[in-house]
Amino acid sequence: MLIEKILFPTKFRELSFNSLRTLLPLKASGLKEIVFCHIIERDDVGFVPFGGYMKEEEEKLREQARIRFEDWQKSCAEYGIKSSIIIEVGEAVPHILGIAKKEKVDIMIVGRKKKVAMGNLFAGDHTLQLIRRSKVATLVSKYMVNFEIDGSQYERINENIFDLPLIVMDCSEHSERALNALISLNNTVKKAVIVHHLRVAISKKHDAGELHAAEEAVKDTFDKFCMRLKEAGIQCETHIGAGEIVEEILRISRERNATMLIMGTTGKDRLHEFFQGSISHDLVKLSELPVLLVP
Amino acid sequence: MCDPADDGFKQSSDYFCSYGIYMQTDLGEIVPLWSTIPFVGMLLSIALFPLLAPKFWHHHFGKVSFAWSLIVVIPFLVVYKGQALYEFMHIVMADYVPFIIILIALYTVSGNILLRGTLIGTPAVNTLILLTGAALASWMGTTGASMLLIRPFLRANSFRKNRTFMVVFFIFLVANVGGSLTPLGDPPLFLGFLRGVPFFWTFKLAIQMLFTSAILLLVYYMLDTYFYKKEGHQVHKQQTDKEPLSIEGSHNFLFLAGIVGAVLFSGMVKMGDLNILGVHRAAQDVIRDGTLLFLASLSLITTKIEVREANEFSWFPIQEVSILFIGIFLTMMPCLKILQAGSDGALDFVVKAVEEPYHYFWVTGILSSFLDNAPTYLTFMSSLLGRFSPGLEGQEAMAVLLNEKDLYLKAISAAAVFFGSMTYIGNAPNFMVRSIAEETGTPMPSFFGYMLKYSIPILIPVFILVTVIFYL
Repeated sequence: MLIEKILFPTKFRELSFNSLRTLLPLKASGLKEIVFCHIIERDDVGFVPFGGYMKEEEEKLREQARIRFEDWQKSCAEYGIKSSIIIEVGEAVPHILGIAKKEKVDIMIVGRKKKVAMGNLFAGDHTLQLIRRSKVATLVSKYMVNFEIDGSQYERINENIFDLPLIVMDCSEHSERALNALISLNNTVKKAVIVHHLRVAISKKHDAGELHAAEEAVKDTFDKFCMRLKEAGIQCETHIGAGEIVEEILRISRERNATMLIMGTTGKDRLHEFFQGSISHDLVKLSELPVLLVP
Repeated sequence: MCDPADDGFKQSSDYFCSYGIYMQTDLGEIVPLWSTIPFVGMLLSIALFPLLAPKFWHHHFGKVSFAWSLIVVIPFLVVYKGQALYEFMHIVMADYVPFIIILIALYTVSGNILLRGTLIGTPAVNTLILLTGAALASWMGTTGASMLLIRPFLRANSFRKNRTFMVVFFIFLVANVGGSLTPLGDPPLFLGFLRGVPFFWTFKLAIQMLFTSAILLLVYYMLDTYFYKKEGHQVHKQQTDKEPLSIEGSHNFLFLAGIVGAVLFSGMVKMGDLNILGVHRAAQDVIRDGTLLFLASLSLITTKIEVREANEFSWFPIQEVSILFIGIFLTMMPCLKILQAGSDGALDFVVKAVEEPYHYFWVTGILSSFLDNAPTYLTFMSSLLGRFSPGLEGQEAMAVLLNEKDLYLKAISAAAVFFGSMTYIGNAPNFMVRSIAEETGTPMPSFFGYMLKYSIPILIPVFILVTVIFYL
C-alpha cells in the first residue's frame, strides 16, 4: 500500500487547516496529491419549506469553499504536493464515499478537528459512518482534544502524528494490511510501537503452560514483524497486552507516548458491531490519538 | 357539571370530566372572530416568507410556527381553560398525530424504492412517466410518487434543452391531480378520512381526475412533441452505456400494500375507544398508527442504506412538515370550531356567502392555491358540516353530508387536490420537486412566473371545464 493520494473532506471547522498541516510530512513517503472536498449539506440550501432551492446561497457557499481551498492549495504547493478541489451539494457521507471511490484515493481523512468538549467521545456520527463503510484506509484525525484520565483533565495537540505510531497486531490478515500501511510510511516514520494482545483468558484457573506457549508464539511473531520494519528503516519496540484489549491499548499508548494508532479492520457491518462490538471503532471513540484504520 | 346527555360531552373524555372541568356550550359559538388571526398569520407566513425572506424562513420557520401557536394556545387556555385544553389535545391526538404518521410511513417506504436504469426522455416516454406517477400518487402519496420519479424523470431529460415545462407538468399531475383517488393520495383527503369520509368514497372523484389528467397529458404530449422536434436532439441514439431499467427495494411495495391495508382496516373495523391523554381515540385508529410506524421501521431496516442515498433521501422535509403542521393544527382550532358552529358562529357570513357546489369548488380551490390545501380542506369541510348538520357530532354529521350533500364534499375534495398545483405553495411536494429540479440544473420559473406562464393559462381553463361539466 502506497499513500500517494489523500482525500481531505472538510466542513472548515476550527483547526481544519492545522489538521491538514500534520499530513504534509507524508510527502517524504510518496504523497503526490491531496483532493480537497467540501460537501454543502443539501438541507442548508434546498427544501426551503414551501420555497424551493436557494441557488444564490449555494453559489455563495461554493465560492467561500473555493477561496478557502485555494489558500490551502498554496501550502500544499510549497511542499510540492499537487491538489484539487471538489465541492458538491448533498448528504455528506455518501458523497464523500463516492468521491473516494471515483478519485481512487489511497486514504481518506475523517474526524473532527476542533476542540472536543470534555467528556465527549472523540468521534461523531458522520465519522463513525465513514469508517464503518469506507473501502479505503481512513485516518481519524484529532488535532486538539481535551480528555480525562483518572479524574485529571488534559489537553493534547496532535501535531507530529507520525513520530511514534502504535500498531495493534495479531496474526490475522487485517494485521498484515496494517503492517503494510505502516511500512509504506517508512520515510516519515522512524520508530513504531508494536502491541500484541494475548487472547488467552487469564483467570485463577488458567493453565500456566498455555499462557507461556502463547507468549512464546507472540515473541516469534514480534521478531518477524520487527525484522520487516527494520528492513523498511523503521525501528520498533514491542509490548504484550493482556486483559481488556481496548483499555490495554489505551494504557500502552499513553505509557509509551505514542502519537497515533494503526490497526487493520475486519469489515464488520453495523449488525455485527452492535452485537460483538468493534475494537477499532472503540479506539476511534475513546483514544485521544489519531487512528489509522486499514480495511 | 359534566352532563353525559349533552352532545358536546360525547367527545370529551372521562379524564376531563373526572377532573371537574366544566365543558361549556360549543366553543365555536362563543369564540370571537379575531381568534382566527393567528391561523391566517400562520398560513400567510408559509405563503410569504419563502418568497420574501427565504433564508430567514429556512432557518427560523420552527420559531415562527411556535410563536403563532403560543399566540393562540396561551390566551385560550387562560380564558377557556379545560375546554380549550381538551380541544387542543383532541386536534393534536386525533388529527395531527395520525396525519404526520401517515406522511412518515408513505415518505419512508417510497424513499426506499429506487428506480434505476436509463430512460430516454422522448415525448412518449415522458408522458408514460407522468401517467405512471399520476397512477401511483393515489397509492403512495403525491410526495412518495414525486420523490420516486422526479430524479429518473430529470435524468431521462438531461439532454433536453427545454425541461422547465416538463417539471411543471410533473407538479400538476404527479404532485397533485394524481393523488385524488384515495385518502393516501393527498393530505386533505386523509384528514377527511380521519373525520369519517369512507376510504373508497374518494373513488367518486375518479371521473374528474381522469378527465383532468387526460387533458393535461394530452397538452403535455403536444408541447413535448413540439419542443422535441424543435430541439432536433439525436443524443439518445448516441448513448451506448444504457443501463437496463430496474427497481431496487421493490419489497417495499409490500409495505405500501400494508399501509393501504392498515388504513382500510381502520375505516372498516370498530373496536371501541381508548383514552389517550384524556382524548378518546378509536382502538382501530391507534392500531393503524402503530402498524404504519412499524411498517416504516421495517422498511428502513430491510432496505440497504445505499438505496436511500441514491434517492438522496433526507428527513428534513418530514421534520419541516411536522414542525409547520403542529402550528397549523393548533392555530386552526378556533377557526374550525367557529365554522362547525355554522350560523351560530362568528363566520356565519362565510357560511352564508358560499352556497353552491361550484362556489365551494372555486373558493376552496383558490384558497388551496395559496394556502396549504390540507387545512383549507378541513376548514371548508367544517363549514359544510356546520351548514348541513348543525348541532350534530362526528359520524352523524358526516353521514348527512355523505348521503345528502356529497356533491359539496366532492367539490371541496377535488378543489383541494387539483388547485394545490396552482402555485409552488399549494402542496408540499411542489416545492420539493422544484428544489430537486433546480439543484440538478433545470431552471424553474419564479413564484409568479409559474402562475402566469403555466398554471393560469393551462389549469384555469381545465378547471372551468371541470366546473361546467361536474358542478353546474
